[in-house]
Amino acid sequence: MLKHPRGKEWEERAKKELKDKPLESIIWETPEGIRINPLYTAEDLESLDYVNTLPGLPPYVRGPMATMYTNRPWTIRQYAGFSTARESNEFYRKCLAEGQKGLSVAFDLPTHRGYDSDHPRVAGDVGKAGVAVDSVEDMKILFDQIPLDKMSVSMTMNGAVLPILGGYIVAAEEQGVSHDLLSGTIQNDILKEYLTRNTYIYPPQPSMRIVSDIMAYCSKEMPRFNTISISGYHMMEAGADTVLQTAFTLADGLEYVRAGLRAGMKVDDFAPRFSFFFGVGMSFFMNIAMLRAARMLWHRLMSNFNPKNPRSTMLRTHCQTSGWSLTAQDPYNNIIRTTIECLSAVLGGTQSLHTNSFDEAIGLPTDFSARIARNTQLVVQEESDICRAIDPLGGSYYLEVMTQKIVDEAQKVIDEIEEMGGMAKAIESGMPKMRIEEAATRRQARIDQGLETIVGVNRYVADDNIEFEIREVPESVRNEQIARLEELRKKRDNKAVEKALADLTRAAETGGNLMEATLPAVRARATLGEISNALEVVFGRFVATTLCISGVYASEYRDTTIIESLRKRTAQFEEREGRRPRILLTKMGQDGHDRGVKVVATAYADLGFDVDISPMFQTPEEAARMAIENDVHMVGVSSLAAGHKVLIPELIKELKRFGGEEILVIAGGVIPPKDYQFLYDAGVVGIFGPGTPIIESANKVLNILESKGRSKQS
Amino acid sequence: MTKAAGASGCGEESRAQASEFEKTKAGPTKDSDYYVKGVLDNDRLILSKTITLMESTRPEDHDLALEVMDRILPYTGKAIRLGITGVPGGGKSTLIETLGMMLVEKGFRVAVIAVDPSSKISGGSIMGDKTRMQFLSAQENAYVRPAATGQTLGGVARKTRESMLVCEAAGYDVVIIETVGVGQLETTVASMVDFFLVLMIPGAGDELQGIKRGILELADAVVINKADGDNLVHAQMAQKEYQTALHLVNPRTPTWLPPVLTCSALEKTGIEEIWNTVLEHRKKLSATGELEARRREQALEWTWFLVDEGLREWFYKHPKTKGLLPEIKKRIESGTITPTRAASELLEQIINKRS
Ligand code: B12
Ligand SMILES: Nc1nc2c(ncn2[C@@H]2O[C@H](COP(=O)(O)OP(=O)(O)OP(=O)(O)O)[C@@H](O)[C@H]2O)c(=O)[nH]1
Ligand SMILES: [Mg+2]
Repeated sequence: MLKHPRGKEWEERAKKELKDKPLESIIWETPEGIRINPLYTAEDLESLDYVNTLPGLPPYVRGPMATMYTNRPWTIRQYAGFSTARESNEFYRKCLAEGQKGLSVAFDLPTHRGYDSDHPRVAGDVGKAGVAVDSVEDMKILFDQIPLDKMSVSMTMNGAVLPILGGYIVAAEEQGVSHDLLSGTIQNDILKEYLTRNTYIYPPQPSMRIVSDIMAYCSKEMPRFNTISISGYHMMEAGADTVLQTAFTLADGLEYVRAGLRAGMKVDDFAPRFSFFFGVGMSFFMNIAMLRAARMLWHRLMSNFNPKNPRSTMLRTHCQTSGWSLTAQDPYNNIIRTTIECLSAVLGGTQSLHTNSFDEAIGLPTDFSARIARNTQLVVQEESDICRAIDPLGGSYYLEVMTQKIVDEAQKVIDEIEEMGGMAKAIESGMPKMRIEEAATRRQARIDQGLETIVGVNRYVADDNIEFEIREVPESVRNEQIARLEELRKKRDNKAVEKALADLTRAAETGGNLMEATLPAVRARATLGEISNALEVVFGRFVATTLCISGVYASEYRDTTIIESLRKRTAQFEEREGRRPRILLTKMGQDGHDRGVKVVATAYADLGFDVDISPMFQTPEEAARMAIENDVHMVGVSSLAAGHKVLIPELIKELKRFGGEEILVIAGGVIPPKDYQFLYDAGVVGIFGPGTPIIESANKVLNILESKGRSKQS
Repeated sequence: MTKAAGASGCGEESRAQASEFEKTKAGPTKDSDYYVKGVLDNDRLILSKTITLMESTRPEDHDLALEVMDRILPYTGKAIRLGITGVPGGGKSTLIETLGMMLVEKGFRVAVIAVDPSSKISGGSIMGDKTRMQFLSAQENAYVRPAATGQTLGGVARKTRESMLVCEAAGYDVVIIETVGVGQLETTVASMVDFFLVLMIPGAGDELQGIKRGILELADAVVINKADGDNLVHAQMAQKEYQTALHLVNPRTPTWLPPVLTCSALEKTGIEEIWNTVLEHRKKLSATGELEARRREQALEWTWFLVDEGLREWFYKHPKTKGLLPEIKKRIESGTITPTRAASELLEQIINKRS
């Protein structure tokens, strides 16, 4: 097995230490399906021609810059936003004063989806999972006392990218800052929205036009601004392993390159302003290898377009540690996890980084948890001397082999996608989303069985409850926003607004740069909802296709006795009740987190439930009607974006209104324990938070249904 | 909770007592009046509960279901019954969304029964068709009911047909049944509808996408969906291929030669033509009296189907055979008895000892 001259000797010693276990028992297969030997040696590097290349030079494996952190460390860029623009602005300024280097704005879900705060479909979502922005007036407050010519600003916006980037540009204009001085990044990566992030507005085709219009506008007007941040992070958080993350992200990148070329630009006009965004999880070396592999592969893929500017082939990236790896149970452990992931990102050579807060699985960060998260980076950056040498792990036998393996595996997936006609076509076919969901389901099954350890969740469970402060955004934020909207509509020149909006609609119909066409509307104080709507009348609103996998959970769950015992109970339920337990799983409001609901749906079906799955973004009324028509025993609400206190009571009310008071309601997702009683009082009969094994929730759901059956009889 | 709980699983008599018990003690009971009135009033909640009653596999529910069915039967028969089948992912649900919306806009009341397969292994199912009928589902004049096949063909056939009749009684003018075209279910569905539409997609090749040729014999029209974008040309090619294929099968009637149409459910093209085809079919077959005849024939077929199913169920659950089944199975598997002998031994258990 080892090519090393003394390999045989080593094997013998190893076998002795292993006693009666075979040598194969210490070979590990990663979730990506990559085989990891217990030992690598110099011989393994012989075939790898890139190993002794240099940072700042192709293929950039060792880093895009020549000096890397020895000259300037990575940028500490924490993603944040909540409630109103005023509150977020205060928070930003405090963070900057305490050592944060760049800004990164998180918008709330109505803003992402192109709705003003007063829209009826967003009653539970305003200011909850990000900052609410309805017009340029809010943008100006958001950046109040933050000099936009000096501060680089990253904005995670994809669906409503035109009004938001427009708002930023106009806010800068009104600060007296000219376009060419603006630096930062707009995410503007629509493809992964259809795949995992779910804050799209329009169908893919017009959305791709918006992307390339922004690329065109910025490359002319804002040369220091990254026009796109091609993101794998969300794929990882939805379940993708490192190979899938690398492959899908770079395949998305290729699609944007082609969009730019189709729009008549030259590759060097826009590709140097591409930036990337990767997610970094707990598998320490795999994630370091992934970042290095991504750089190498991007250089290879981009070289095919024959760019003159080397920057066109250079992958620069932001990273975020994995929120999915963080637990609601024993949450201080999360600080340790985040530290490990932080090291991984840094050793992988990221250009900027967000580290998560320990209360990740409970709610938005508080001032305290945000400080610890930021300090994690400050400590690594300033106390550990990690920045002193470039790519310090370069040449590690193991890491270099892993890097090459990820390159090879990802290339295979990319080839497959190119074969399908590119990522847009692949997404249309549902292939990438199904792959990600399959990976997520397998992972869930492995964790539920304890095959993968999660400290504090499936092993070493602590029995004390740590008390700490939780951030809660009050319902009053919505009213504040609505009042501001009313005032705005009164004060502005409504004729001018109408004209600007009509011009925008016309541009959507007939062509012309949409970024340019948006700016007059923003300046005239048209709201984000109005601008989005002016485009929606032409483009329409995208409706996602919900595809489901089946059989994966049960097949990955090796302990068949547990599966069988639950199947027996669902079958007995049918004998007793005349049909299987039927449950409607629904997502209400603008919450687009669908990993949990999809995993629960496919697993429950594997356990013998009849599962109805609702479309995304339901109003409580729509969900209730579906429950009535499908005549389910139970509605299971999956809520992760803090809408639960508004939407779930509303659902129960609607069920009653339709005469469906017999239908039971349970909830799952990110629901802070302090809200449990509130929900029970509203009529919820079961709550299942992050980390609940599916087997356990299914068991309890059956208990609830069976006890209801009994009480009906007695 | 003594009697009711103790009664479950016992013989006929105690079961009757148990339901008596439920009637007196368990709050307002739902008798056939409740269901019949609710359905005829088109009360969405009761309509749904009635379909559940029809779906129930619990023997206790059969009598009530039968009684409700008897009472609503006079109100059925007026709807246009449309069956849609085709390859998985072919766009059946999307077509129903688009076609259904068009019909609602024309003033029709539209009911949809979307059947999804249950897993043979777990018995469970994921019903996702309705996510593709978002607009239709939101209409006041539409009703969309997803259903799982369950474990037996007889079961799904019965509940699909009865659900269809319940919807008719509730006043829906068009009832559409969606099934995935990979089993025997389509044949059964074809024999309960007026118009049987087989949906295909371009790029099939000549093996006809795993759809059995037999299904084409039942088709009143073949529609090639996804005739949009880059696919348009392929769709037109497929149209020709299917036209040729259809020439080779005998039409069910000389009055109607099943056409091959193309459409895009997504881009809403060719939908009007589909509907016109349905109407034309209706007109032609009504004029010759064949539509009436078809329904009469279906009623007969249906009766025999039910008798078959009933016999089968009776046979497998019969106390004299039930106990023998595992033993016989073992003997067949080990080759110690021939299948012919095994079957006749089993049948003799009931047939001879009775006569
Ligand atoms: C993954 C993730 C994402 C992914 C989502 C991918 C996808 N397609 O689902 C991405 C990266 C795209 C994402 C984006 C955002 N996210 Co996010 N995300 C998470 C994260 C890290 C994990 C959620 C998850 O999938 N866990 C794994 C699944 C399997 O677990 P689960 O859903 O909890 O389900 C389990 C149980 O809860 C239960 N369960 C759940 N539902 C149901 C239903 C029933 C009936 C039953 C029985 C059981 C049950 O069973 C499951 C198995 O155990 C959480 C934090 C965390 N650790 O929980 C933040 C989190 C939910 N996200 C958050 C935010 C703010 C966002 C954004 C809105 C940020 C922004 N402003 O842009 C965006 C936009 C997303 C959108 N469109 O809604 C916040 C929400 C804040 C809050 N509630 O107050 C969280 C809590 C992080 C944080 N602390 O800031 N996110
Ligand atoms: N391009 C194109 N895609 C379509 C069309 N109709 C449906 N689709 C897409 O095809 C996929 C499957 O559509 P469905 O309507 O769910 O197909 P189905 O036949 O009902 O699928 P199952 O019920 O799962 O067998 C979805 O992604 C649709 O968006 C169409 O006319 N053109
Ligand atoms: Mg369907």
